Amino acid sequence: MARKPPISNNVRELREACGSMTQAELGDAIGVTRQTVIAIEQGRYSPSLESAFRIAREFGVGLDDVFSWDED
Amino acid sequence: MPFQEKSAWIMTLALLLGGAFYFMTVISMSSAMGRLASPNIPVVVVYTIILVLISILGHTLIALFSPKEANARIDEREKLIFVRASSISSYVFGFCVITALGYYLISNDGDFLFYSVFASLMLAQLIEYVVRIALYRTSI
Repeated sequence: MARKPPISNNVRELREACGSMTQAELGDAIGVTRQTVIAIEQGRYSPSLESAFRIAREFGVGLDDVFSWDED
Repeated sequence: MPFQEKSAWIMTLALLLGGAFYFMTVISMSSAMGRLASPNIPVVVVYTIILVLISILGHTLIALFSPKEANARIDEREKLIFVRASSISSYVFGFCVITALGYYLISNDGDFLFYSVFASLMLAQLIEYVVRIALYRTSI
């Protein structure tokens, strides 16, 4: 199967800092399922650019504050 | 477990049971006749009924337990999963059908051609659902 994408993220930390927003709530806000939010948090799925921007906007931060590129 | 993954499990089960019924029936008919039985409509109809019944009952059950997810549209990750699974399945179908046609050119056995193409269709569908399940559980 596919390799893990070389992108890490702080979605879980930002979600928890945001008054313990649930994965389902974040999913509803950005238009994906709870399972997709789980896959993003676990680094098993890299969201589309549109969803990445939606996530950043939801937390009121920049894209770089949510996602980062892993060199290895 | 996402609704679409549950759906894939149901369809996998339906295809396995339907396929088992179909080929067990063909094998028993062929053993009784002493040669490969010709394809017949009633067996295909029963196979289709098994598939449709399991599919309807299974989907009704999972929709009752998670109505919100059942009504939700598939999201971007699920679309990607569907496309990858469908792509792999189409390669399997193409390979099996070409093999079956090649064998027909040698054997000239039309009955065997029907069964092998029908089996290719079942196998390709089965692989599509199995790949979906695998992709739901791994990275994509």
